[in-house]
Amino acid sequence: MSDNEEQAAPSSEAPPEDLTKERDQFIQQFFRKGAQLTEELLKENERLQERIAALEAENGRLRAHVASDTAIRDLLRKIDELEAEKKSLLQRTAGQKDDDRFASHHAELEAELASLANLYVATSQLHSSSNVRNVLRNIKELLAQFLGAAKFGVYLASEDGKQLVAVASEGQNFADIATLAVDEKAIGRAFATGKLFYDEDNDVSKGTVEQPAAAVPMLIDGMPIGVIAVFGTLPQKTAFDHQDGELFRLLGTQAALALVSARLFTDADRKVPGVQAFLDLED
Amino acid sequence: MAEYSCLIVEDSPMMRQLLVFALARLKNLRVTEADDGVDGLRKLASTKYDVIITDINMPIMDGLKLVKRVRSDPVHKDTPIIIITTEGSQEDRQRALQLGANAYITKPIQAPQVIAKVKELLGIE
Repeated sequence: MSDNEEQAAPSSEAPPEDLTKERDQFIQQFFRKGAQLTEELLKENERLQERIAALEAENGRLRAHVASDTAIRDLLRKIDELEAEKKSLLQRTAGQKDDDRFASHHAELEAELASLANLYVATSQLHSSSNVRNVLRNIKELLAQFLGAAKFGVYLASEDGKQLVAVASEGQNFADIATLAVDEKAIGRAFATGKLFYDEDNDVSKGTVEQPAAAVPMLIDGMPIGVIAVFGTLPQKTAFDHQDGELFRLLGTQAALALVSARLFTDADRKVPGVQAFLDLED
Repeated sequence: MAEYSCLIVEDSPMMRQLLVFALARLKNLRVTEADDGVDGLRKLASTKYDVIITDINMPIMDGLKLVKRVRSDPVHKDTPIIIITTEGSQEDRQRALQLGANAYITKPIQAPQVIAKVKELLGIE
């Protein structure tokens, strides 16, 4: 052992008691502080965990909110699309209604024009001949072609006005309908009152002599001179409409005039009166 | 606008006039009238029509004979034919269709019905 070693020996001796006490106090304090710090760290950790949990919860709520907003936006967009579609459909429906109205109006006009054409043709044909036979033929044709009449008779009143005498007929045994009494039945009533009758309640194709489909008084200056009686129509003609009513009214006035004019013209040996006859008018 | 021609073969002046009035609604259709089948053939000998309308019951030559003659004529064999019949004459109608008629109209005639048939056969909107 060297001198230096010998000199260092005194340092390995036990420290003084006060130093030891101080050291122990320091160590105790150190550990206490460490425990306290650890405890604080654990508490801070616990607090942070809670904060994380709160933030995660908040995050979840916000995510749900964002998702909800997206759903609402989707719904709003869908509503906009549906509104646009509804508008388009309404426009198309309105257009369709306009088209339907136009088509309906057009059909009405066409029917009206057809009716006017029928009336014009009927009038011109009734007065196209000054021969009684031809006038009767035209009346019969008009009844058959325009009104679908299958069984009918054209009657003129007897001198005493008590009977109606057939001057033309179709589809019916002539002997059965040659004369009809002016009674309270439809035909007699039409003659007596001058009022047009046509059946609006029953199938006119099934009419009979007793229950005719129509009775049209033939008038001159409002005075009945006879009746056109329609006993029945073609099977497909089951009802009379407004247009038929107009034709009946036309027949009532024009057929009588055409017949009487043709008769008088024949009686006058088919001579047209001179102009003086028209200048000397008394009525 | 294309122009079309139509031949009406009908012995009744009243029916002819009614058909002429009905077809007057088609502004681009020129209408010619014939009194019966023979008169119809006479007119067909000199003119080709786009459509023929014929009655069935006519004196001298009826509509059935006319349809047969038209269909056997190379010039007119493809011309559309509309026949006019009555409800009770289903046999005539069948016969006319068998002979080559394209369509039929039932009496009493309604103008819109005539116009629709002619437009259909001519392909007019």
